[in-house]
Parts: sequence; C-alpha cells; structure tokens
Amino acid sequence: MTDKTDDKSPPQPPPPQTAPPQTAPPQPAPPNLKWMGKTHQWGTRVKPGKHGLRLGDLNVGIYGEVPPVWTDQTRAPRGAVSRRGVPPLGYAIRDKVDLWADSAADMYEEAIQRRWAPAVDVPWSTVKPLPDDVERSICQVCTELSQYANADVESVTYWQSQMAYGYHEIKQFLATVSFDGARHMEVFRKRALCNGGGLGLEGPGEVNRMILESRGGWTEAVLYLFIVRGLFTQTMYRYLHRYAHNDAERTIFAHCLEDKARHLTYAIDHLRYAVNHQDDQNLILQQLCFIGERVLVRELKDVVLREALTIVFGNGISEAEEGGRIFRRMMSDYITRYLATLKWLGVERRTLFPEELSAYLKAS
Amino acid sequence: MAVFPSVQWFDAVRGVFNADESYQGGGGGACNALMGLKIAGQSFLVTFEGAECSAAVKVQDNDLAAADYILEMSYADWKEMIQNIATNGHADLHHTLNTLDLGRPEGLSHSMHGDQYREDLFFRYNQTMQYFFDASARVATEFME
Amino acid sequence: MSEAEVLQPSSTLDLGWMDRQGEWGIRAVPGKQGLSLADIQIGSYGEPEERSDNQTGRPRGAGARPNSYRIGGYAVMSKSEIWLDNASFLYEEALQRQWSSATDVPWHTIKPLPDDIEEAECQLATFFTEVEFVAGDVPARWIASTTPDFFEPRQCLLAQVMDESRHMDVFRKRALANGGGLMQTSGGTAGVVGSIDLARDFTEMSSRLHISGEGAVLTMFRMGELMAYNEAEKAMYRLCAQDEARHVAFGVMHMRYMSETAPQRREEIQCYLDEAERQILAGSQNPAGTQTDSSEALAILLGGGKDKYDEGVRKLIAIRKRQVQEYIKRVRSTGFGDRFDNGRSQLIRTFDDHAAA
Repeated sequence: MTDKTDDKSPPQPPPPQTAPPQTAPPQPAPPNLKWMGKTHQWGTRVKPGKHGLRLGDLNVGIYGEVPPVWTDQTRAPRGAVSRRGVPPLGYAIRDKVDLWADSAADMYEEAIQRRWAPAVDVPWSTVKPLPDDVERSICQVCTELSQYANADVESVTYWQSQMAYGYHEIKQFLATVSFDGARHMEVFRKRALCNGGGLGLEGPGEVNRMILESRGGWTEAVLYLFIVRGLFTQTMYRYLHRYAHNDAERTIFAHCLEDKARHLTYAIDHLRYAVNHQDDQNLILQQLCFIGERVLVRELKDVVLREALTIVFGNGISEAEEGGRIFRRMMSDYITRYLATLKWLGVERRTLFPEELSAYLKAS
Repeated sequence: MAVFPSVQWFDAVRGVFNADESYQGGGGGACNALMGLKIAGQSFLVTFEGAECSAAVKVQDNDLAAADYILEMSYADWKEMIQNIATNGHADLHHTLNTLDLGRPEGLSHSMHGDQYREDLFFRYNQTMQYFFDASARVATEFME
Repeated sequence: MSEAEVLQPSSTLDLGWMDRQGEWGIRAVPGKQGLSLADIQIGSYGEPEERSDNQTGRPRGAGARPNSYRIGGYAVMSKSEIWLDNASFLYEEALQRQWSSATDVPWHTIKPLPDDIEEAECQLATFFTEVEFVAGDVPARWIASTTPDFFEPRQCLLAQVMDESRHMDVFRKRALANGGGLMQTSGGTAGVVGSIDLARDFTEMSSRLHISGEGAVLTMFRMGELMAYNEAEKAMYRLCAQDEARHVAFGVMHMRYMSETAPQRREEIQCYLDEAERQILAGSQNPAGTQTDSSEALAILLGGGKDKYDEGVRKLIAIRKRQVQEYIKRVRSTGFGDRFDNGRSQLIRTFDDHAAA
C-alpha cells in the first residue's frame, strides 16, 4: 500500500509570470527587542537524568509551582510572562482539584516509552482458523472493546480541550490516553477482520452514554470512564490474555493491559487528590457510584457480551459451563478490585451496593 | 571499497541502514518514498518501503521524473557531506540534509513533477533520509577524481 | 433480592446475536508493512458511505441494535466534510514514527551559549510551547464531534494531538535546559491562531490549521534545524518538522478531496485561502511586514547574534520566500491553484517584487 494517488495526474507547472517591475529590496527594520530580558526566572538548567530529560524534571522553581486555580485564560505556558490584553479562550476547567494527579508527568513519559504499533508489533501470522463459535465470540468481544475505546476517545478529547494550560502535564498525559484509545479501536477492529470473521453486534451503549454524559465535570468522567468501566475493561483484558488462542491475541491484550494500567494510575491518583482536597468529594463520588453501578448492572443484563466471553473462556459452546465459571470468576475479580479501589479512595460502598454485583462475590 | 556515487556504494549503505534497528526508532520508522539523486552527472533512484531501503538503481536523467523528490548538489558538495559524515560518524551541524537544503540558495531538494505534496516527503521522512546518509559512515568510500 | 444470573449449560445460551453480526468471512492479510488499516478496508468494512447515520458510536460495519443508546449528536456526519484518501496511511506512518523528547534528543550536547542567542532560543521555545497545542486542542474537539464511521481521519487527528503534545513538551524542555527560562508569550490567540479556535466547519479549520498554520510552523522548524547550535536542537527541530509535515499532508489531501468531490464549496474554500494569504501578507512572512518577537528571535539565531541581526533578517526573508513558494505549490497540489493564475491571489506578485531586486 503506498501513499501515492497514482491515478491522479500531477498538477501542471504554473504558467510563466511576466517580469515584475524592479524595486529596491526593503531594508530590514531595526529590531524592537523589547522581548529580551522578559522572564520570571532565568538561569534554569535542568539536566537529563538516567531516563533522559523528563517532563517532571522541569518542575523547578516557579516552573514547578502549580497553583490551585489557574486564572490565565490564554495559552500562556506555566512560568512564562503573560502578555496583557490577550482575549480569553474560555477554558472551563481551571481548578487543580478538578484534574490534577502528581503521577501525570511520569505516566506521560512512560506512555511514550512503551508505545506500540498494532500493524507491526502484533504477530498477526500466528492467528490461525478457529472453530466458528469461538471466532464469532472473539469477534463479538473485539467489537465491543473497540466500541468502548471509541467512547474513551470521545470523552477524553472532549474534556482535554477544556483544560487550562497551567496544568499541561494533565493535558499531555490525556493526549497519550486518547492515542491509546485510537490504538485500541484499531487493534480490536483488525483482530475481528483478520481470521475469517467480521465485526459483531454493537454494544447496548448505556455505560458509553453515561461516560459521555458526565455533566458534573472531568472528575465524574474519570470515575465512570476509568474506575467503573475502566477496571471492568482491564479485568477483561487480563482474562482474555490468559485465555488467548494465539500469540497475536496475547500480544494485543498484554499491550492493552499496560495502557489501561497507566490510565488507572492517573485516575486513582486524581480521585485521591480530589477527595483529599475538596470537602465532601468522597460523598459526591459515592453518589456517582450509586448511579453508575446501576447503569452497569442494566448493561450487564444484556446476554451478548457475557455469552461471547463465556464461549471464549470455555473455548466453545460445548464448554459453556466451564466458560461460565471463568466468567463469574472474572466478574468477582473485577468487583473485588473495584470495591478495594473505592475503599482506598475513601468512598464508602458497603451500603446500597447492587445485589446483582455483590452476588458475583458470593458465587465465586 | 565502493566509489561514490555508484549502485555498489548505495547498496553498501542500504545494507548498513537495513541492518541497524536503531534507525527504525527515534523518529525513524515506516517510510515510503522514492528518492532521486543527481550526482556528478549520474542519476539514481533509491526506494524506501516501510522499514527497508529496498533498492538502489542507476537511471537515465529523465527517469528522475518518477522520484518524489530529487537531491542535487555539486559533486564537491556531495563529497564534503560524505566525508563529514565519515569523520564524525554522522552529519555535523553544517552538513545535515535540511541545513544543506535551506542554507544554499539553490537548495538541495526539488522535483520534476512540481507536486509539493510529494516533495514534502523529504520533510516527512527527513530523519530516515538523515539516518540513511549517516549510515555511510560505516561504508569505506572512494571518490571520483 | 435478585442474584447474579448463573449460566446454565449450553442449551440455555441465547446465541441469537451470532445471527446479527456484521459481514462474515473477512480475512484481511498482513502486507509487507504489517496489518495496516488499509489492509482491513475490505467489503462492507471498506470505505464509508457518503452520509453516516451512526448515532451510537458503533464500529463501522458492526451489526446495529435498534435499542442501542444514542451517544452521538455528532456534528460531522458527511464524508466530504472530513475525508481524505490516504488517512489510514498517514495514521500508520504517525504511529510508527513516534519519538520521545526525553530520550531521542541528545540533551547532553547542549552547552552554554552567548546570552543573546540563549534568549532568542528561549523566546522561540516559549512561542512554540504556547502555540503548538492549539493544534492539539482544536483537533481534539473535532474528534469528539465526528462520527466514528469516519475513523480513519479521526485516527490521524488523534495522532496529531499526540504529536503536538510532544512539541509542547520538547520546547518547554529546551527553554529550561540551558540556563535560560520561559519568556513572554506571543498572545498568538488572535489572527490565524485564534481563528483556528473559532472555525465552525472542519474544512475551514483544516485550511487555517493544516495548510496555513502548520505550513508556516513547518518552515520555522526547518529554520530551527538550520540554525541549531548543537545536536540536541538539530534533532528536536528535525523531528518536529517531520511531524508537522505529516499534518500539512493531512490538510493538503483533505483539501484535494474537497476539490474533487465538493465543487459547490470551491468558492467558500477559496475564501479561506484568501484569509490565510491576507495573514501572510500582513504578518512577518511579508518582507515588508512587521516582525514579531519570534521572528526577531529567528533573525538573531539565523544571523548568529544580535549584532548580526540584519544578516539574519536577510536569511529569514529568503527562507520565508521559499515558504511562500511551497505554500503556493501545496495549494496547486490541492486543486485550488487557479487562484494564482487568475489574479485572485496577490502572493506571487508580492514576493516576486521583492525577489527581483
């Protein structure tokens, strides 16, 4: 495949221009140079460390002062001298508590170091024909995972563009998250189309909708996107890796697991920061969990994903009983991890936790 | 020892370039371009396909019309660049392809087709092109009289 | 009290979904460059229809459910609003040509520079840190409002957001790596940069961002490589220029697609180009135009010091002329070059007047 639009004839050379009248070349105007010397902090010399020159290393002196509110409404970089009279751009998210995570700079660099390209880093030649029921099921799972990734991308890009420039670490990290989402959308589509199958049925979409409708701000979106659904996705990746049918699938799920782990690190770090720096944030999160869990329960009542995973784990319809046990174990792992995460964050979930979800803990 | 320029020389550089995985990282990577070269009255086409420099052939001048972009300098300038790379292991500050292109009034890169989209491949794949010529540091080179 | 649904043996699986999946029997084969997006554009999973009705975010070609929740409200639902023929190719290229500002730039090669040079370098770096993420924020908004049926261009834009994030980061690093610091912002939210934010149509945005804005920044990056004082700056500017050239390529190919498929929008697009060229004529790219802080900094760097400013300006003007020539050739490549032949554009005459001297 080449980039060439070979069947389009190249543009014709331009017609010859008539010679313009001769004019003297303009002398360069003398420089203004008023910008020289305008800096809040000069003499900064950050040296590369063992892992190169990392984003977090730059937070020295005033460049590392991250204020609780970023009042500048322009694209002035943190630490730069602002220019007066620049029209505001209207960034909606300007409070540190609404987006911050200390780990964001490190996660940004890690994402770049651990980048992968599905086209060449997945050993696609190891995908061999599978029984029809298994292939249909893995294709169904991949279709839904691709759709989850689409919701990730749409949510993250929507919010990222609203964040003030003073918190560039977060914006930059979220750029890696949306790029991860692009990879995931792509790789699951490729898996579904490489082995005699095709795409499956679209998902019910209620959790996607909940994520994208997070009216309460980015923190609410983080909870739904990364904790409620993200932990579920990560758990699925773990089990799909464990029950992969070939090296290609193992590679896919291993890489996706790494990516998702970074997202979760940010999410937990941010939610912890929010809980510790905003009164009653834990109560707000508790209420949001109450709502979000019920949406998740309704979506889980849909048989499609559950059956597809059952067949994948059991390696066929005939082994659905075993596959079902593995599915329930997966759900138990997810809910255990979910509750433990919320407990660590200080978000109470002992009361009013949906029975449909706690039943997985009792059944395992 | 290969004479610059010659298919033998370009094949030797290709061999070094293709064998070195580091050229696929650090801003290198998938590259799909047909580079033309005009050196000392001779014309060459060098093909890049994905991670590989797959071919180098000597052609007639008018065959360069197929190239996405053509690099052309005097032989003395080419020799100076190759010798600089051999001395330093890579092009120094004054001998990178972009520097030669912008620093010379007549530039370095042009095309016969005039399609700037294709000429822009010189910019899109500039790091790969730089790696390619830097690879010549590991090729014993003889120059024409 | 309801319990989790416990699956019974296979006879009680529903499995009706297996009959409602998308087109079956697809076997995309990896090519020499792996399994690319282009390789999976097969059958009904190939190119999208001209108009998308996808309001649920389902992957293109997936089986639709009548009761799936609508998440869309996408603003971009027509292919001609965003399409370009080689989007999948550009995306794969972007994925494979990523780089790390932390480890792929030889920061250790930066040594102390004369004060005026360091200030100029830091002023330029401050400018780039400020403006580069315009090209991150704005595409991000368009990604969120484009139907996933056109995922190929969306993937390109996602790669661009990542690229611009890296640019914002690498220039901040340069400003703080050599005894300098960040300087004053440009306030570049007015003019072309600001109007990128204000675009209400994707093609309008792309013409300003990719064709005009990124084309200009590409030249600035190439100038940066030319005037670099150490290997770190050489690498930094070269790698950024690669990324920028890819973004320009997106804009050129989208506009080419528009030229070929949306003749009713030709005059509209010509107006966007009129506006871009007014900026070129009014701004620092015009030899007679006012120099900005960043172009003064460029002149100092190109000349080799404050005392060689005039020489630097002459070099800057020569390179700017090449930039304009490249812009003209790019626009010709898109199919809108008639503007240079019918007198609509003043660019050729303006820049040839100065070149003839």
